[in-house]
Amino acid sequence: MISAKSQAKRRYVALAILSPLTILLVWTLLTAKGAVAPIILPSPAAVTASFLDMVQRGYSGVGIWTHVGASLARVGIAFFAGGTLGIAIGLLRGRIAEIDALFLVPSEIVRPIPPLGLIPLFILWFGIGETSKILLIFLSVFLIMMVNAQAGSRSCAVDALRAAQSMGANRWQIFRFVVLPSALPQIMTGLRVSMGTALTILVASELLGGDRGLGFIILDASSFFRTTYVFAGIILIGFIGLVSDRTIAFLARRIVHWEGRR
Amino acid sequence: MNVPAPVVTLVSSEGSERGGKPMDSSASVRPILKFEKVGFQYDGRAIMRDVSFAIRPGELVAVLGPSGCGKTTILNMVAGFLQPTEGVAIIDGQEITGPGPDRGVVFQAAALYDWMTVADNISFSLRCAGRPKAERRRVALEMAALVNLTGFEDAYPYQLSGGMRQRVGLARVLAAKPKVMLMDEPFSALDVQTREVLQEEVLRIRDRTGCTILFVTHSIDEAVFLGDRIFLLTDLTDGAYDEFAIDLPSPRANSENRLHPAFLRLRETIYRKMRH
Repeated sequence: MISAKSQAKRRYVALAILSPLTILLVWTLLTAKGAVAPIILPSPAAVTASFLDMVQRGYSGVGIWTHVGASLARVGIAFFAGGTLGIAIGLLRGRIAEIDALFLVPSEIVRPIPPLGLIPLFILWFGIGETSKILLIFLSVFLIMMVNAQAGSRSCAVDALRAAQSMGANRWQIFRFVVLPSALPQIMTGLRVSMGTALTILVASELLGGDRGLGFIILDASSFFRTTYVFAGIILIGFIGLVSDRTIAFLARRIVHWEGRR
Repeated sequence: MNVPAPVVTLVSSEGSERGGKPMDSSASVRPILKFEKVGFQYDGRAIMRDVSFAIRPGELVAVLGPSGCGKTTILNMVAGFLQPTEGVAIIDGQEITGPGPDRGVVFQAAALYDWMTVADNISFSLRCAGRPKAERRRVALEMAALVNLTGFEDAYPYQLSGGMRQRVGLARVLAAKPKVMLMDEPFSALDVQTREVLQEEVLRIRDRTGCTILFVTHSIDEAVFLGDRIFLLTDLTDGAYDEFAIDLPSPRANSENRLHPAFLRLRETIYRKMRH
């Protein structure tokens, strides 16, 4: 007897797998019929061939995994640093009015500025090396996590706080045992969102210059109209995004085990 | 059944008694909780003025009244979440300056911590006080047994029903061995059967531990069933409220009391007083 719950789960997994396969099928059919010019939409086979070529011979004299590693390092460092700092300051802003007041205007003015717009400034200030790329991604992650952490820390119910006070908790204990766990669901959501944004900005950041990275491959290949390599790069980034998103989602479900169960 | 008729004492703002049994504030037992001419203002409006009462150790006093009458404000002042704007609130001879485990609160919505197990919720006050792990575990098991939740110590609150969550709420307050247990309409969100079972649990726990309870409610039935005394509040702006002493057969944790003639008589008296 299959329970209704596991039936629903099977359906979910089946659809989740079928949907990309269907897209792949449509894509293959479209290109096989010659309905679209290969330079605009190459066939999956051609993209795969380019990908394998990169695996064997690298791109632009650098191995594919070096490119991947360079991108992952940039995103990883920026995500970790931006996430940690953003969470810390966001939590503080949620509990201490003075800190919130300090950060209010600067953060709200910087937040709407598109990363692309900051590139010329960063080149001027930090050059075209790793620093400016990492800083660009860091900034976005930081701002997103700060907002989410602040919202999370304010979401704590008054009674939950009062209960802690009535049980003799001091300010730090209240923060550690009540405010922080209350904020975790919002923080995990923020991590997923900011990871997606970080990958987007990764490509933009590699406009700053440099000779390695997935963004570099995409930009370099597109300037030479080598569409198959552009696609290979895009799909690779997309795949990294899928894996990282699912990983964070999985961790979130394990850490915040009480969410959605009340 | 020879039950003394329930007694009504009207306490005026001057603190003098009119008719009936005198208000028991001194005698042989020092009160564990006292309000002395307490007033509270909010937004320039006086919610209460000149409120005085004394509660003996081991007593269960039900504070009864409609929404907005100030009963929760009184509880919040005893809990230390609010400070009186006039007068003084005294716990065991000392002025109340803030919240503390000597005056634990059971909230209407339990307010348990979903990220901690039942045992960790119960022993939270001990954790804050820095007690060792073994002691915390022992107390948690003891309290869980007291509220009839043995076997659920390692479950999470979201796995429990509303009634069970309130038991945890009770247990965590009791774990801190409070001087006074404050209960803010703790059973209003539960269904009638669960509510009645928990009311009997509260009385049973009170008899076993001897703890003092201040129980805020808007239900006459609940107040009469539980209370040794009832403070009936309507308008506290001149400090006046009605006080009733309840004399139902002991032990009180007996569901039959709800059908007792004295119970029904008292219900009627209070109901009429509320509606007059």
